[in-house]
Amino acid sequence: MKRLLLVLALAFSLLMAGCGGEEKKAEETKAPEQAAEKAPEAQPKTLRLAMAADPVSLDPLVQLSGGMLQYSHMVFDPLVRWAQDGSIVPRLAYKWEQIDDNTMRFFLLEGVKFHSGNEFTAKDVVWTLARLKKSQDFKGLFEPFEKAVAVDDYTVDLVTKEPYGLLLSMATYIFPMDSEFYSGTDEKGLPKDAIVKTDYSFANINESGTGPFTVVHREQGVKTEFARFADYWDENTGNVDEIVLTPIPNDASRVAALLSGDVDFVMPVPPQDLERVESNDNLQLVIMGGSRVITLQMNGERNPALADPKVRQAIVYAVNNQGIVDTIMKGFATVASQQAPEGFAGYVADLKPRFDLEKAQQLMAESSYPDGFACTMIAPNNRYVKDEKIAEAVVSMLSKIGIKVTLKTMPKAQYWDEFDAQVADLQMIGWHPDTEDSANYTEFLLMCRNAETGYGQYNSGSYCNPDVDALILASQTETDLAKRSEMLQEVERILYDDAAFVPLHWENLSWASKKGMNTADVVNVQNFPYFGDLVIE
Amino acid sequence: MQPTRSRWRRFRESFFLHDFLHDRLALTSFIVLVILLVLGLGAPFFAPSNPYDPSTYDLLNAEQPPAFMENGQAQFPLGTDAQGRDMYSTMLYGMRVSLIIGFGAVLMQAFIGIVVGLISGYFGGRLDSALMRLADVQLSFSTYMVAIFISAIFQAAFGVAMYEKIAIPLLILVIGFAEWPQYARTVRASVLAEKKKEYVEAARVIGLSKRRIMFRHILPNTLSPVFVISTIQVANAIMSEAALSFVGLGMPVTMPSLGSLINVGFEYIFSGSWWITLFPGIVLVVLVLVINLLGDWLRDYLNPKLYKG
Repeated sequence: MKRLLLVLALAFSLLMAGCGGEEKKAEETKAPEQAAEKAPEAQPKTLRLAMAADPVSLDPLVQLSGGMLQYSHMVFDPLVRWAQDGSIVPRLAYKWEQIDDNTMRFFLLEGVKFHSGNEFTAKDVVWTLARLKKSQDFKGLFEPFEKAVAVDDYTVDLVTKEPYGLLLSMATYIFPMDSEFYSGTDEKGLPKDAIVKTDYSFANINESGTGPFTVVHREQGVKTEFARFADYWDENTGNVDEIVLTPIPNDASRVAALLSGDVDFVMPVPPQDLERVESNDNLQLVIMGGSRVITLQMNGERNPALADPKVRQAIVYAVNNQGIVDTIMKGFATVASQQAPEGFAGYVADLKPRFDLEKAQQLMAESSYPDGFACTMIAPNNRYVKDEKIAEAVVSMLSKIGIKVTLKTMPKAQYWDEFDAQVADLQMIGWHPDTEDSANYTEFLLMCRNAETGYGQYNSGSYCNPDVDALILASQTETDLAKRSEMLQEVERILYDDAAFVPLHWENLSWASKKGMNTADVVNVQNFPYFGDLVIE
Repeated sequence: MQPTRSRWRRFRESFFLHDFLHDRLALTSFIVLVILLVLGLGAPFFAPSNPYDPSTYDLLNAEQPPAFMENGQAQFPLGTDAQGRDMYSTMLYGMRVSLIIGFGAVLMQAFIGIVVGLISGYFGGRLDSALMRLADVQLSFSTYMVAIFISAIFQAAFGVAMYEKIAIPLLILVIGFAEWPQYARTVRASVLAEKKKEYVEAARVIGLSKRRIMFRHILPNTLSPVFVISTIQVANAIMSEAALSFVGLGMPVTMPSLGSLINVGFEYIFSGSWWITLFPGIVLVVLVLVINLLGDWLRDYLNPKLYKG
């Protein structure tokens, strides 16, 4: 009998093994609770913020990542920045004008102070651009830039090598740094402006920007404390006096911290917890369509059936991307019919999602493969939200038009090698453009593959249409934004008609906070919340 | 002297059957195991739909509750999973895969392990050292490393297209190959203890061949630990398969096994769809439990010291 009990206990422990992780999560959430209790909630307005990770350094040029740019918007100010509607609004530059094809002149605010007390002038912009061009991570983005020239103390010219339509978008990445503060050598005799990824550098542990917050205390991976900069130039901003940033990498713990009131603001919110947050009376949830598009690429070179335009069309018509968004993504995504979401230069409003099973079956019947065919597919299983389930659902959808898909899913560590090797006929990829621009999608995902120029680097379907390439290349040097937008819209139309890829959806972005904050006003699709503008009632 | 009894009659009158029939626990376990085996291996006959054919289910039916619940549909007696597959059918098919892999892998492990263990224990000396070091080396590689290695070879040879077809034999090979040292070491230890005994001496004196002594005389006396390991290993193999499926080396996601069903369903347990993980979980626990109980009974029966007379 004892043995029976033992076996029963063993069997149950098998079931419980999975639950172990959850218990651990619950324990982890206790830590921030204790930390939070110490923070006095009396007079100064404190924002207790929880993110998945904290900034890796205080030097904004060490890493090009969402997290570092979010940090940059707190401690530094860009020349110009994105508004919620996708337009570009003044920050340190109050106006700008095109002087010639290659030059844009920026007029800078006067009387702006750095955290060190130094005055902000044009020479800081010149110095910052030179440093950007030295940064491993940023130099690629700033490759089209020739130099910055200080015309006088408050006027600066940005000169590009060729006419460059995205100059203004790139100016959102120029966060002027205090050139005096970062010049010279520190007490160890090392140059203060050195960009060092992992080791010590002066810039990694000191900051002097013009931004709304200064860093008061930082313990990496544990806590970063920000305080409002007393001499901040913009009077018209939020009222947060202090920000305590705690990194909570575990999704469940982060949400638990918000629900229990240990933190005031969390980002991102995992899809499975959206309902819990939304149904809570003390919390508000802000969801925005993001710009990361999830697509499937069809390789007509590997599998001749996929080169047949009718088959490609049929596949696009057979995939019920609305159904995927509703059931698998639980509504936490926006159905896509093209690469760029609304608000982007290339967005075409009349391209609609195409799910129509009857039409798909009819197209298959008209194609050269009326009886269907077999093909292969690979997808990652830990890269995008619910990636594996999406791929599985697509297999079922394609089986309804007679296409038998063999699916293999794998973790992202293995996936990208297989993806680059083009081992399957259908391959999944998601893309978020660094430049927040339509052309970026096509440049990487759908231009003809060219190892030399790097165009079509992630075009695993080997789709190639010379017209598309010509339009994209022309758009790069087109400075008239209206014309440029037309070109990019033309590209989207061609891609749509060619069924160049299977569009699935754009993943959403999410932020959750306590009520009584203007959370919805400070967030944007770039996922750079402007905490300087946050108002707590 | 009576005429030779038929095998059937000998079996019917044996103590083996008598003991079995009078042990209620063993009998119940056996009946449950047979039911599960029949249902699992005969899945295509018992399941209302074929969940491995992607055209039979629809995403729009995803996460339907079991029929006995408020919004349940009679069409899906145990509800549906996150892809809209009927849970009942999926469990039967999944159990079939798990059973084939579990038993297949254990048979392979046992075969390699017993042969190596017997040879190693009986001959001893350098051969023994060599084989046991080999086992040590094998043990130092985790199952996953072996799996990655073997499946890389398979994939290079067959490509992604054949993946669905080779998945089951591949898993049997991987799990079977990764864990044979468990058997080899146990069998070797028992052989070392047995080979000094008088009956082995006697057999040798009569002039029996080494092979006969090893397989007909020593082996039956080393089997009881082998049975115990086997019951654990079947459960282990089913679990390994679920883990390998997650890393993309096991069954394709479109052909879920019992293990991967539980694994996937776990994500949904907090969002209210508990049936995706609970039902396959119960089946797996029951399956592992009855195999363990039967193994226990068999070991007790085979152990002469516990002979109940």
